[in-house]
Amino acid sequence: MKILTEHEAKKLLSKYGIPVTKESIADSADEAFAIASQIGTPVAMKISSPDISHKSDVGGVVLNVRRGEVRTTYNRIISQIKKAVPDANIEGVLVQQMAPPGHEIIVGLKKDVQFGHAIMFGLGGIFVEVYRDVSFRVVPIEKKEALEMISEIKAHPVLRGIRGRKPASIPSIADVLVSVSKIAEMEKIIELDINPLIVNEGGAIAVDARAMVE
Amino acid sequence: MGLSSIFEPESIAVVGASNNVNKWGGRILKNILSSFNGTVYPVNPNEENILGVPSYPSVLNIPGEVEMAVIALPAQAVLPVAEECGKKGVKGLIVVSAGFSETGNEEREKDLLLIVEKYGMRMIGPNTLGIVNEPVSLNASIIDRLPSKGPLSFITQSGTLGLALAEWTIDMGLGLCKIISTGNKANIDDVDIIEFLGNDPSTSVIAMYAEGIKRGKAFMDAAIRIKKPIIAIKTGVSKRGSEAVFSHTGSIAGSDEIFSAAFKQAGILRVESIEDVFDAALAFSCQPLPKGNNVAILSNGGGAAIVATDECEKHGINIVDLTEDTREKIKNIVPEYASISNPVDTAAAVSYKIYREAIEALLHDPNVDALIVIYVHTLMSNARPPAAAVAEMKKETQKPIITCWLGGVGTEEGIEILKIGGLPNYSVPERAVRALAALIRHREFLKKVKIGGEV
Repeated sequence: MKILTEHEAKKLLSKYGIPVTKESIADSADEAFAIASQIGTPVAMKISSPDISHKSDVGGVVLNVRRGEVRTTYNRIISQIKKAVPDANIEGVLVQQMAPPGHEIIVGLKKDVQFGHAIMFGLGGIFVEVYRDVSFRVVPIEKKEALEMISEIKAHPVLRGIRGRKPASIPSIADVLVSVSKIAEMEKIIELDINPLIVNEGGAIAVDARAMVE
Repeated sequence: MGLSSIFEPESIAVVGASNNVNKWGGRILKNILSSFNGTVYPVNPNEENILGVPSYPSVLNIPGEVEMAVIALPAQAVLPVAEECGKKGVKGLIVVSAGFSETGNEEREKDLLLIVEKYGMRMIGPNTLGIVNEPVSLNASIIDRLPSKGPLSFITQSGTLGLALAEWTIDMGLGLCKIISTGNKANIDDVDIIEFLGNDPSTSVIAMYAEGIKRGKAFMDAAIRIKKPIIAIKTGVSKRGSEAVFSHTGSIAGSDEIFSAAFKQAGILRVESIEDVFDAALAFSCQPLPKGNNVAILSNGGGAAIVATDECEKHGINIVDLTEDTREKIKNIVPEYASISNPVDTAAAVSYKIYREAIEALLHDPNVDALIVIYVHTLMSNARPPAAAVAEMKKETQKPIITCWLGGVGTEEGIEILKIGGLPNYSVPERAVRALAALIRHREFLKKVKIGGEV
């Protein structure tokens, strides 16, 4: 069993055609600055360590970092993690494109002993955490079933845009679901989360991800 | 290899047979003897005669062929007997004995399976309550009554609940074709059973009580392939996701959620309660599938019609707009203050003529795919004439009709007419609607898997 870092998990998603944030791991403050300049600021900066999967719980995530703050933020994250998780093996700091505005979606996989992999879809935040408003399918699924999964949750009208919010591209979500289904078939996944997948009218992008593989 | 050696054997040995019918080996032997027409051989080295039949010390001493053997012995004695059965040329085993994987004795179950496979036998169990196959009059189970003939086959994993359900089915007068207690499913599992029942011409609807499914994917494929309705109640421990929460998905995706998804994808009708299993089974056993989702309701009481309407809405069933022509016909049938739109309420007017003509008009309406007929009993009305009207109209239609004769004392004779007429009747409108919803769901599933044209 192995836990993939966010960056590794996103490389996996990317291999299957799922759009992910532009990002790269920096192992020095200067490199962080170079990456940020290339991506365009502001950026998100996140600790990258195979030993830390809940990064924000340990103070390993800083969002909206402006150009002039990249170097100091790098140093601050590293020293914070060394204090909070002294034994963690630190790969560096992930410097990442800030997520565009949009709907927060969660897409996941779980391996089940009886039926193989199940894929989950839901809206992020309270919809998942409080109402558990999610839909499931045993993989593989095709686009038609992906669209069914999306329309099945109670909160699905939210995606069509209510109360002045812009709608989300539902075909883009369906494409991601089908790709995740392919990942389940091809890779040895135990659990996978894309959380959040940000979706707006233009498309979907995986902003954070984690995976546990065999 | 097929399962016919177990379900349709020419000859049966009962190993562990006993004169004491309170013991498993005694009870099952008694049930086989009182139902089965083939040759039966009790096996017990300590007896010469059991329940009036000559007993043999071992299956190897039996002079004739033995097609199937029931083993009801303590677990530690099962393996050598299975070996003897293999040598004897027995083709099918029912191993009633407990004390295998269900009590943590995985090794013993593996060893038993090796023997079964070595001789190319098939096995139900271990830890099974046995099987019943009504069409060949075989009761190789501990259930002490044979059900009446019917199209429903019932699969139960094990346990007293499964047994009680089987008994209850018999009490309800719901005919049964087969009862199969699968036990630990070491050799014959859910997939084998579903495929077997799929090919069984006397089974047209399957009910199952499952705690878990072996070979989940293959089970889903088999369920889709056979096209027959499968109604399931799934219990057992619903494991919430992983304890050490790694992912959100892991924390939400318990075994139960995945079960529901899998069943839905395979077109298996997962119902909420035990009552719903048999209510749906009853509807499937005597009604055709509706062509669509559009339902008309006829009632002599507005309240009951509203309850039915609400329940329809809950299950996504459309209370369809009637055609002008139908409304015109109904207007001439019911009192002028009655409701002539759907749900049709006769405003307490009940007679053979009113029900018959109203049902006829509703069934002829091209918008209507199925009909729910409700009768609310009052001191001033008679439950029989409207029942006779439904039974009469049922003969002339290909659309499903579900009935609800509401009111307890005074309705029995009407209900009897409905039963004889092959109508599924329910005690309350909600149950009637849920049974119809099951028919609609199955029809929609068949359409979805693109075989709808064949039904």
